[in-house]
Amino acid sequence: MKRDPVILIVVAIVISLMLVFGIQKARHNNSSSSLGGTSKLQGQLAPDFSLASLDGKTVKLSDFRGKAVLLNFWATWCEPCKIEMPWFVDLQKKYGPQGLQVVGVAMDDASPKEIGEFAQKMSVNYPVLVGKESVGDQYGGIPYLPSTFYIGRDGKVVDRVFGLVSRSEIENNIQKALGQQGQVAQR
Amino acid sequence: MFEIGLKLMNASRTLVCVGLFALSPIGFSAIGISASAQDFPSGSRTPSVTMQPPEIVSIHRGHPGSVQLQFRIASGFHINSNQPKQEYLKKTELKLDAPTDIAIEKVVYPDGEDRSFPFAPDEKLSVYSGDFPIEVVVRPLKTVVPTKYAIHGKLYYQACDNAACYPPKQFPVSFEIKVLKSANEHKKRIPPQSPHTHG
Repeated sequence: MKRDPVILIVVAIVISLMLVFGIQKARHNNSSSSLGGTSKLQGQLAPDFSLASLDGKTVKLSDFRGKAVLLNFWATWCEPCKIEMPWFVDLQKKYGPQGLQVVGVAMDDASPKEIGEFAQKMSVNYPVLVGKESVGDQYGGIPYLPSTFYIGRDGKVVDRVFGLVSRSEIENNIQKALGQQGQVAQR
Repeated sequence: MFEIGLKLMNASRTLVCVGLFALSPIGFSAIGISASAQDFPSGSRTPSVTMQPPEIVSIHRGHPGSVQLQFRIASGFHINSNQPKQEYLKKTELKLDAPTDIAIEKVVYPDGEDRSFPFAPDEKLSVYSGDFPIEVVVRPLKTVVPTKYAIHGKLYYQACDNAACYPPKQFPVSFEIKVLKSANEHKKRIPPQSPHTHG
């Protein structure tokens, strides 16, 4: 039986379309399953947590309610995190008087002493908390670092950023978080 | 006339086929695949390190033997070398549990490649990327029974891409060696040839 080559080609294209779209859908599902938990947080109240600070005090996220919070998950072994830290120090100085509070959460296997030494070396001027995986899970899982959440004065997540971004992008997000209360009041 | 018409029809079919293939997702993906492999966003994939199945190396007991392990890091990722330049970085390390009477004499790591990355353009990091070998020098003790032995361990590494770092991971490693009697032992068992013959 002789088959028309055009039909064969059309069948091959249909199969390849199905394959490619199937693969793309699977990829999309994978990436949204790793980050989807966090995207659900946007516009929602940031999950509250209670963690030990480097000086042994217990700090709750809700302690900062009324302030815009830049919640940065980092680790001593994370080079890109080291790049951001001096920016956070500067931005805390610049926007602190307007109500910004940078909070670092070290997702590290290093001891609090080592984390403290590292933070001191980086001249960190904001609270650094010793992280727990359960807190990362509350935020949809932290598959890689740095991961930063911007929380408005009303305690709602304004935005989240994974990986290192530019200082100007961080500053824009801080401004968004600081302006959150105004936007909500205008509605 | 009929033949010319048939030829024209075949030619147009061929053109349609070529055109359809070029526009098909396979055509697109074939064109775009090389670019997308490098430019994926952080976190869209997870880093992986794999090991090529190692050859079984024969080693005489009482003597050192070298086993070459070949590792591959997924493209777009790098891991710190065994001697990272910065103190807080996690070094790549192979930790092995050898059976009793098999000594791991040393693990030889390659030098890292000094590279700078977009997140720290002025800083050089000592990293491995792509394929890298680790040499393991093994010495079976003289008393060990000649046979095959499996050596297990873990490769500890911490990977990053161009904008983010992933938590430290472990990769299970195992390889086999075949322990042989030493050449000297064979000689010892051969009875010495007497220059004199006894009649």
